[in-house]
Amino acid sequence: MKTEIRNRPAFANLLVEMQPGDRFVAEAGAMASMSSGVTLSTRWNGGFLNAVLRRIFAGETLFMNEYLAETAGHVVLTQPLPGDMIEMPLRGNTMYLQPGAFIAAEPGIQLGVSWAGIKSLISGEGLFRLKVSGQGRVWFGAYGAIFSREIQGELIVDSGHLVAYEPTVGIRPGLAGGIFSSFFGGEGVVIRVSGQGRIYMQSRSFNGLAAWVNSHL
Amino acid sequence: MAAYAFATVGNILALTGDVDMFQTEQTFSGGVFHHSIPNGRAGADIIVTPVELLARTQGDGSKLFSLKLSECQLELGGASGRMVFCRNTDSSLTIFCEERGFPAALSSASFGALDDRFRELRSLQRSQNSRQWFWVSISLLLIAVVCAGLYFGTLAAAQVAVRSLPISVDEKIGQMASVSMAPGIPLAEQHSATVLVRDIVEHLRPYSAIPDMDFRVVVIQDEQVNAFALPGGRIYVYTGLIRHAENAEQVAGVLAHEMAHATLRHGLQKVSQSLGIVVAMQFMVGDVGGLIAFGSQVAQESVLTSYSRAAETEADLEGARMLHTAGIDPAAMGEFFEIMKHEHEELPAILSWISTHPQHDDRISEIRRFRDSLPAAQYRPLQLSLDDAKRDIGQQ
Ligand SMILES: [Zn+2]
Repeated sequence: MKTEIRNRPAFANLLVEMQPGDRFVAEAGAMASMSSGVTLSTRWNGGFLNAVLRRIFAGETLFMNEYLAETAGHVVLTQPLPGDMIEMPLRGNTMYLQPGAFIAAEPGIQLGVSWAGIKSLISGEGLFRLKVSGQGRVWFGAYGAIFSREIQGELIVDSGHLVAYEPTVGIRPGLAGGIFSSFFGGEGVVIRVSGQGRIYMQSRSFNGLAAWVNSHL
Repeated sequence: MAAYAFATVGNILALTGDVDMFQTEQTFSGGVFHHSIPNGRAGADIIVTPVELLARTQGDGSKLFSLKLSECQLELGGASGRMVFCRNTDSSLTIFCEERGFPAALSSASFGALDDRFRELRSLQRSQNSRQWFWVSISLLLIAVVCAGLYFGTLAAAQVAVRSLPISVDEKIGQMASVSMAPGIPLAEQHSATVLVRDIVEHLRPYSAIPDMDFRVVVIQDEQVNAFALPGGRIYVYTGLIRHAENAEQVAGVLAHEMAHATLRHGLQKVSQSLGIVVAMQFMVGDVGGLIAFGSQVAQESVLTSYSRAAETEADLEGARMLHTAGIDPAAMGEFFEIMKHEHEELPAILSWISTHPQHDDRISEIRRFRDSLPAAQYRPLQLSLDDAKRDIGQQ
């Protein structure tokens, strides 16, 4: 299965070129176009309960679309917000994705919801996160550009900008400055990322967009 | 292998109660960081032996990494806080695992050599955690204070806004409520009971706070002892109330109380409070569709006819003032409460007014105190009789 992320970084979309027998799963609603030789079936990914949990807590759609190529063909996947996409290979390791970031995965990947905790909630990253693990490639997207950083020690990331991180890094909330400047200076809560491992960040934040839209309503 | 098992018996017992003593090699799932792996990392099966940690990466091109326990530098962390990292001396190789039994397996395999380090890391983590929770609590408290401030701020702003709204707003709300509540079958305008109640209201009108309010009287054929006023001045009186009253002054007492609710604009205040809650909820939750649906439901049922205790007292006192200036003894109001209290035991189901107007003893004494504080006045009996109305109600 050959893939290409096109129109990076602003309007990234994923072109999947499939040979007969190739299959993958994608977020329902991500498909922009597909060849007639590709069949699409909708299923609960990882069972009903897991699907419902993912819907409620990780912001993912209730169903996953499974694409199977009966003859050679292609599928184009997009994401709702303008931004970049990234391909991440997993070799038996695990990655946590922020709600809504997931786009597609190869069949060897398991998807699940994991409890992220109160600290994550306060960091502005939600109580739950999507856990992807296994063997294969995962594609996820972000709002704006995506950049990754290999953590050794500690890094401060603005709340709402963290898209994905490995289980080997710890995240905890912190204040950008003192209490006063944090609450009234606009930066507010930040995330202190520490440990060893890779994180992915987005250049824009959804909270920022929401605030901008609100101020123009 | 058996030799290791015997040698470590004491340590295992000291550390955990449930380690299988005959299994000295245990396998866990975790991962490896090493530059020789594409992308620098991979998931791995980790085998703990008494000499070393072995990590076998999964999938194609599986590799085996080994880290001597004697060289192992421990760290604790990760997203869960339970991830155990073992690094070699130059940190070029890291084997990590967050399975629950892993620390115990490491400890027993190393004959307790790593225990001190584990203890140290855990206590460090605990102190970090408690510091963290301290700040988390402070932040949550601050957020709560801000939310509460916003909530009460909106409430106060709503109260002020209500007073500046024209009376036509009250009338509109009252009109909508009268349609949605559909309180029952009204008696004819010329019915002696309707005429009686209207006469009393007209008698009190000049002494109300808003004499040109559109007071309209509807008498409902219903045995409930009940009366209420809607915003804007629509007053509903149930025939059961007239039947249980002893004289026109007592009816006047209830009517003065209900007219006071209208002139004090308690209904509008109640609506604005609900709106204040909606606004505050919107700020805190972001989505209020369900709340609005719930709120409009409540508004149809009881919001406009049941008020807070403070509002009731306010209406009692304003009603008593109206009676006093109209030359009617405010004691009549208390008398009617007494009747309702005494009949409460016998006729619980039909005493609806009691359900929205509880705390009788308090209210009666409050009215009495207020009456005593008023300047002495010559009260005149109302030249109105309940007899015709009571007789005509009975015939219906
Ligand atoms: Zn009342």
